[in-house]
Amino acid sequence: MPTQYLTLKKNDPDFLNQLWGRTETDKRAIPVKTYNLGTEEESVTFEVKPISDIQKPSLMKLIVALVKLKSFILILFPLFFVLVKNSVDNRFFDPLSMTIVSIATILLFAGLNIRNDVYDHISGFDRVNLDSTPKPIRLGWISAHKASRISLILIFISAFITIPVMILQLELIRVISVALILFILGRFAKHNSYKDRYFAGFILFMLIGPALVSGYQVALGAGVDTEVLGFGVLWGYAVMFLIQVNNFSHIMTSSQSGIKNMMTKLGFDLSQKFLIVCWLGFIGLWVVFHYNYASTYWSVFGTILLIFWSLPLFMKIANIKSPMGSGLQVVRKEAYKTFIMMVFLFFMENLWVIWADLI
Amino acid sequence: MSESALTQALELTKLALLMNYKIYSPQDFPAYLPKLNALFDDLFSGGKGFRSKLIGLVSEPLTLAHSTQTLLGQTIEFIHNASLLHDDLVDRSHLRRGKKTAWLKYTPEYAVLAGDYLLARVMVNLSTFGNIKLVQYTSEMISDLLAGEWLQDSVVGDYFVTLEQLDRIHNLKTASLFKWCLRSPFIASEKYDKELHFILNEMGSILGLLFQRSDDLLDYDIRNDEGKAVLGDLKSGYLNSVGAFLSKGMSKAQLDNLIKATTLAEVHLAFADNADAGKKIFTQKIAEFDEMNIKLIDLYNHHLENLDKILVGNEKALIKNLKPLTEILYWRRKPSS
Repeated sequence: MPTQYLTLKKNDPDFLNQLWGRTETDKRAIPVKTYNLGTEEESVTFEVKPISDIQKPSLMKLIVALVKLKSFILILFPLFFVLVKNSVDNRFFDPLSMTIVSIATILLFAGLNIRNDVYDHISGFDRVNLDSTPKPIRLGWISAHKASRISLILIFISAFITIPVMILQLELIRVISVALILFILGRFAKHNSYKDRYFAGFILFMLIGPALVSGYQVALGAGVDTEVLGFGVLWGYAVMFLIQVNNFSHIMTSSQSGIKNMMTKLGFDLSQKFLIVCWLGFIGLWVVFHYNYASTYWSVFGTILLIFWSLPLFMKIANIKSPMGSGLQVVRKEAYKTFIMMVFLFFMENLWVIWADLI
Repeated sequence: MSESALTQALELTKLALLMNYKIYSPQDFPAYLPKLNALFDDLFSGGKGFRSKLIGLVSEPLTLAHSTQTLLGQTIEFIHNASLLHDDLVDRSHLRRGKKTAWLKYTPEYAVLAGDYLLARVMVNLSTFGNIKLVQYTSEMISDLLAGEWLQDSVVGDYFVTLEQLDRIHNLKTASLFKWCLRSPFIASEKYDKELHFILNEMGSILGLLFQRSDDLLDYDIRNDEGKAVLGDLKSGYLNSVGAFLSKGMSKAQLDNLIKATTLAEVHLAFADNADAGKKIFTQKIAEFDEMNIKLIDLYNHHLENLDKILVGNEKALIKNLKPLTEILYWRRKPSS
């Protein structure tokens, strides 16, 4: 039997219903082609599949893909850093609030990750920038509508369980208020997603960096200090670098679809140089942070190791020849690997700090 | 009539058809340019002229003037052949349509100049025709074609390139011409409806991909009735769409065997240690490749149905002309109905 297709224009009343998956219960419309993205003439061709024909993964695989479990390191390592720092400094005053905030952050992050996928699906970012990461909505494993509901529930639970902490640690209200204002500003500023506008990019940097670590530290009753803010800047910068690399890996598809970001603005050749300078900038920040807050041993040894581990990344970025070939994915993987190695270095450094404190 | 005489007669008919496109304006191919005429005749004599035939299939229901059809046919054949002249030089290919390539037979300089000359004649004749939208669209198509060539060259030697990435390249390099064949007769008759051009664009894109994928299958000796050299792309370091499909999920050792293969038997051995088992898996993979393209053909038919809804009067005859193209281009057979 021939495959069933349906092409709808943006101004068709059914367009959003199909994208959100708010249609027949036994069928799902999966976008296979998007045209004129972001314009009034945008239209999408859907493959209409009976839900029973869609190969569903195991529940575990669905959850891992939906909440993007791999990305949880972005919130868990800062948590680890704050815990170690304050344990060593004997400023771990409120373990209960800290535990609640940690759980709330995990739920919030999971909810926002799902929300981001929903947004990218509806806006079209994910429909034109296809990559190898399984996207549950695009694959038809779950409808955008259902995913959105799950994300809202997670965000709501996260907000709800944070209320007692705000009573216990009043300063947290200020941190959350600032984060909330930044978040709302980001929603207004962005066009396709947080990844695509300079101001929204800055807000994302603030949220995933200084705001996150400040929130953790305030929750355990230790207030904000320059070291934790310094770490937040370093962390936010590294995450933004990963986002730039991700945008670089989609540079051609984004350009063709009219998606604007730093990479499409700079173009292929300049983006390569920009990424190299960007990671050199990170190494510079790393040196400044360690010079101020770490032992000489870790400042020297850690920096040498970081530079050594960064060399393949520099070489791979410099050697990439095509905006279309496999080199883009190689750079993306190498950037992630270098990031993980940097985290590993930090992790070992923190274990060293704990050990030194114990003896 | 003997078979060889029949083949010769068919070749002469094809040549005559293509030669119709040689002269649109009296200024085309002046006698004082040495070797240009000979180079042109050499290049065009082996071609099938499929693209200009496609122009004819679209122009006929629109009752486009014969001279306009000639202009459009000339435009697409000139652009296509200019790209071949340049492409052969870029790839350092020795054979084109079974004959010595132009840059080898004449000189690289002549091949470049002849390609440039064909493109320049296209612009002269189109601008004389006076439809600025047609001139603009044709320039965009040439630009897409060159962007595709450029990108294709940049992935030579890249054995991890994905089918999706190659499709994007082929959409620029191959499909841009097919889109032009479907849309230009409408533009020439000053029909600019957005919906119409959107559908034609998508249909052209699918036809281009199907044509390219079918051509790539020849490299693996699938439906290779015209006896094209086997594994030419692979040997020159280009993992074409079939290669990208076959190599998906392969281990490094398997991929290594595939890219080093010089015969089909060696390709089969990339899938299994045993030749028979390898051949079986290879055949299964090709069936999956065909299955994927059947879905693409279904998508073409979906667009064809939508096109039928917006065509009016005699234009509806276009549906009948466009319907069999997927059979011809992908399956390389005469339409079943």
